[in-house]
Amino acid sequence: MTSPSASSRKVLSKIATNRLQKELMEWQVNPPAGFKHKVTDNLQRWVIEVNGAPGTLYANETFQLQVDFPEHYPMEAPQVIFVPPAPLHPHIYSNGHICLDILYDSWSPAMTVSSVCISILSMLSSSTSKQRPADDERYVKNCRNGRSPKETRWWFHDDKV
Amino acid sequence: MVNGVSSAAEQAEQLKQDGNLYFKKNRLGAAIDAYTEAITLCPNVPVYFTNRALCHRKRNEWARVEEDCMRAVRLDPKSVKGHYMLGLALLQRENYAEGIKALERALDLGRGAHPNSYMVEEIWQELASAKYKEWVHESAKRTLALQKLEKSCEIALQEKLVHDLSHMMDDTDEVFSSTSEQLAALKLIFSKAAEADKPTDVPDYLCCKITLDIFRDPVITPSGLTYERAIILDHLEKVGKFDPITREPLHPSQLVPNLAIKEAVGAYLEKHGWAYKMD
Repeated sequence: MTSPSASSRKVLSKIATNRLQKELMEWQVNPPAGFKHKVTDNLQRWVIEVNGAPGTLYANETFQLQVDFPEHYPMEAPQVIFVPPAPLHPHIYSNGHICLDILYDSWSPAMTVSSVCISILSMLSSSTSKQRPADDERYVKNCRNGRSPKETRWWFHDDKV
Repeated sequence: MVNGVSSAAEQAEQLKQDGNLYFKKNRLGAAIDAYTEAITLCPNVPVYFTNRALCHRKRNEWARVEEDCMRAVRLDPKSVKGHYMLGLALLQRENYAEGIKALERALDLGRGAHPNSYMVEEIWQELASAKYKEWVHESAKRTLALQKLEKSCEIALQEKLVHDLSHMMDDTDEVFSSTSEQLAALKLIFSKAAEADKPTDVPDYLCCKITLDIFRDPVITPSGLTYERAIILDHLEKVGKFDPITREPLHPSQLVPNLAIKEAVGAYLEKHGWAYKMD
């Protein structure tokens, strides 16, 4: 997705900038296993490479996450999507939107990019079938105007996967 | 007093209002005149002094800022602005110790009154940058003194080696190796002595899990977790009434200052002044 979403248009607040600089420094020293941050000078949008964990359905596959930070991060969740082609997964839509509660209603400012990445990888790893959500076609059609997943009223599938 | 003629206090208040208006229009000279007249009428109102000090501050007339603030804090020892600008004025003439003391007083008073105000943040920024400058200054002196001492010790050991070699003919190997051991030990001791002045990471237990920054005003929740006061209040207002880590219900009234962590941060900063650096 190249169009800027509503949440990422405004410049980062001082608190957000400060916190993201700290997160980036920590990431560089201690990155979560299986992830690689693609270096840019854009603090507000991180592009992260994810490697499917060995021994899971996604082993040897590589995906890209795009993380956009709102002005008042971490008081608001970042927008996290897969850059298509997104992994085939019952909670991941073909446009890259991810149905994961911590990215929306259950966000907490104590979470970090790193902890979000780990949650996403564990969601991938625990998958038992490679398929799209049942409502994929309808959902993706509804998002055609470039709507952010943060504007979706999510009905979370279940807690297990 | 004849009816219709206002009292000195009322006139002074009017003059202050005028002064504030001039200040807003950036007519500093006129504002200073108005406050000066107010002070002549009522010399015991601290706000007239701090307002005039603010004008002097804008004009970079720091000696006058200092003078007015001294009078303001004498009249009202609890004046946040008085202590704050007094601190800035003292720092201007590089009186770090006294300037920092005044800013610390302002910060304590400001937190007591309005823990979230922009003033508190501003005072903290000034205080941190003063402390950082003080550290730069002091650590440079310390580093230089240590380097000189290390050099002298090295020379002394080498002179001792020459002396020992000239006095005994046997076992020269042992004399050599014991000297090189001592030189290595010396190096280690001096590098340890310099450690506190070397910027590294602040330990996690002294940092807020939300700001990821060293604590300034830590508060503890009923779950036993500690957060930076301003950020947890912001979270409770904007995100939800729950503890960000445990997700237990949480209300602002349940937050209690964590004095132990505050002291630990104070002790850490005392030894590691570089941690005051704000980027």
